[in-house]
Amino acid sequence: MNKISAGIIVFCLFIGLIILNKDKVKEKSPDKVILWHWLTDRDKVLQELARKYKEQTGVDVVVELYAPADSYVRKVTAAAQAKMLPDIYGNVDTKETFANYIRSGQVADLTSYFQADNQAWEASLFPKALEGNRFYEDNIYGVKPGIYGVPIDVTNMQLLYNKKLLAKAGFQNPPKDFAEFIGMLKALKRIGIPGFVSGWGELWLVDCFSSNYAFNIMGEAKVMATLKGDVPYTDPDWVKVFMVFKEMKDSGGLAEGIITKPNKYAEQDFALERAAFAFNGSWCVNVYYKMNPRLSYGVMLPPPVNDKFPMMIWGNGGSSFSVNYRSKVKERAVDFLKWMTAKEQQALLAKETMNLPSNREAVADIPSVLSDFTMAMDATTHPTVWKYNENPIVVERFYKGVQSIILGDKTPETVAQEVQEEKQKQIEREKRINNRKNRAK
Amino acid sequence: MKTTNYRAINTFKSVALHSFLISVALSCLFPLIWMVRSSLMDPETIFTEKSLFPKAIRLVNYYNAWAEGNFGVYFLNSVLYTTAVVVGIVFISSLAAYAFSRLSFPGKNIFFYMFVGAMMIPLPGSFVPLYVLMSKLGLLNSRLGYILCMINVGLPLSILLLKTFFDKMPPDLEDAARIDGCGRLGIWWHVALPLARPALAVIVIFNSLNVWNEFILAMLLLNDKAKMPLQLGIMTFQGAHSVDYHLLMAGLTISSIPVILIYLAMQKHIIKGLASVGVVG
Repeated sequence: MNKISAGIIVFCLFIGLIILNKDKVKEKSPDKVILWHWLTDRDKVLQELARKYKEQTGVDVVVELYAPADSYVRKVTAAAQAKMLPDIYGNVDTKETFANYIRSGQVADLTSYFQADNQAWEASLFPKALEGNRFYEDNIYGVKPGIYGVPIDVTNMQLLYNKKLLAKAGFQNPPKDFAEFIGMLKALKRIGIPGFVSGWGELWLVDCFSSNYAFNIMGEAKVMATLKGDVPYTDPDWVKVFMVFKEMKDSGGLAEGIITKPNKYAEQDFALERAAFAFNGSWCVNVYYKMNPRLSYGVMLPPPVNDKFPMMIWGNGGSSFSVNYRSKVKERAVDFLKWMTAKEQQALLAKETMNLPSNREAVADIPSVLSDFTMAMDATTHPTVWKYNENPIVVERFYKGVQSIILGDKTPETVAQEVQEEKQKQIEREKRINNRKNRAK
Repeated sequence: MKTTNYRAINTFKSVALHSFLISVALSCLFPLIWMVRSSLMDPETIFTEKSLFPKAIRLVNYYNAWAEGNFGVYFLNSVLYTTAVVVGIVFISSLAAYAFSRLSFPGKNIFFYMFVGAMMIPLPGSFVPLYVLMSKLGLLNSRLGYILCMINVGLPLSILLLKTFFDKMPPDLEDAARIDGCGRLGIWWHVALPLARPALAVIVIFNSLNVWNEFILAMLLLNDKAKMPLQLGIMTFQGAHSVDYHLLMAGLTISSIPVILIYLAMQKHIIKGLASVGVVG
């Protein structure tokens, strides 16, 4: 190859690089509000809302979708480190990570906006919707108390029942209590219909189901005392919680392979009428609709074992947005979020995406299944708002214990003993670590 | 008697081997067949119909996937990225590998091991520094930034492959070229590159697949929808909790066609390249 050819190649590459680099970062217009999110199924309606907002106010909101969630988290993490977060961004990580963002000055405190005009904005939303974004006085994360995010929807976990399959087994109404529920599972088993399905191959669903029953059997105070370490898992009330799984197993009503089933497969089973009951989150309305629009089902709280304490289910703000503390258009960003959580926009979001609205006033204008779900919002709780949380290793031991009960390998009493032993081990470990830290100080 | 036994054993071995190979081939083909079959069905029947052949064929899924996934723009972007990155990798890696193989310069081995060592760093581990670097260079949200990053991702393996190839190239060929008046670049262009064609085919295939299927880095570095590659269009069918399987499968079928075509076009070279990486000249 002669020097002329080499020169031509280098020249072509040089020109190519210039052309490609022509479209490099354009400075963001100071009037625009940039919003990042990962909610693929809500992108269209968010774009539509941004368009409407521009029509009404003249403010340009650019909605940018980055999915799936884990890739989105990477992008947000990288942007946060480079101090290049957008004006509004969706929260997707744990409360601890959220707290880190707040402490490092990436999230604006929205408390004053929520409390303006006699707390009008705050009052329009479900109180539980804000819990995930709220930090109280003396919170364990060391964050200044306040509200740091805006929920655009809420979720909760309930029991779903297939009306047609229950009718086949001779039941017109869902069960009123746990004993009746077990009776129904047995009746369904007799006519060859799998009774109950859930994604119990995923630890969090078992954790959720068991903590619902723990609240119902022993009340919130005793559950918290257990998490703190004051009440052992060998307490008779905790054995009763494990008994819930044993009774369900003994009824023969659990779907085959339930302890290894991911929630996606459990959702398919219920949507395709291969199980009469399912334990799932409110997002299932959309999932079931896509798989089987003709599915006829109802929503209920898990049937209680005890009538002394209320049944508390997991639920909180579903998807939330935060405002970048460094944003140059912070006021505009907050105004858009306020507008997006108003009644009319919330009803549109709920109808289009089949998620529960975070605005309680929008409930009247949404499909009935969704409003049935929202009716239980006052009975919700969530580990992120508890004063104490269980050690993850104990939670895992608990989960494995439940699996052993369902497999018939262990009794509730044995599992309770094993979980308590693990709890004790972890308490002692934490003590050792704290002692070491104190000595180092 | 012995001959009959020998034949029976041979037949048995052959049947067993072929059964095994057929089962492996079927297990590889099944996901592809399932993808095409699901792309032609409506969302309600995907999980209820057991047959591999849909009763009603819905070609409209392809149109919807193309339109809803904004595939027109993404497709062109992917073609641009794949072409630019592969050309860049072939150009740089062949020059670098030739230099590592034939030239003597201080720190040659250290540089080479640094390149090879770069293969050990998982991509997600470099996201944050990469993002900060690109933002400082003003290359964030630019096609050039993404292309340069992807070239960088593909270089280590390509250099390693080509260096191994050039190491085995007989020095006599270079001497002959030198007598004919070739300089270093001339030898690289007229002698080394033509001989390395099988290895280059492997590099082209591997890197084409890598760039065509990549989206994590694109999502990290690009913000404008108009600059995103095809894989990002496919992501739009995967919701947080629900998946539009019929559109997702149609999108996947569309996106896999170019890759299959590239593979079919270069099939001969890739097998030859893998088999003869140590035989040169």
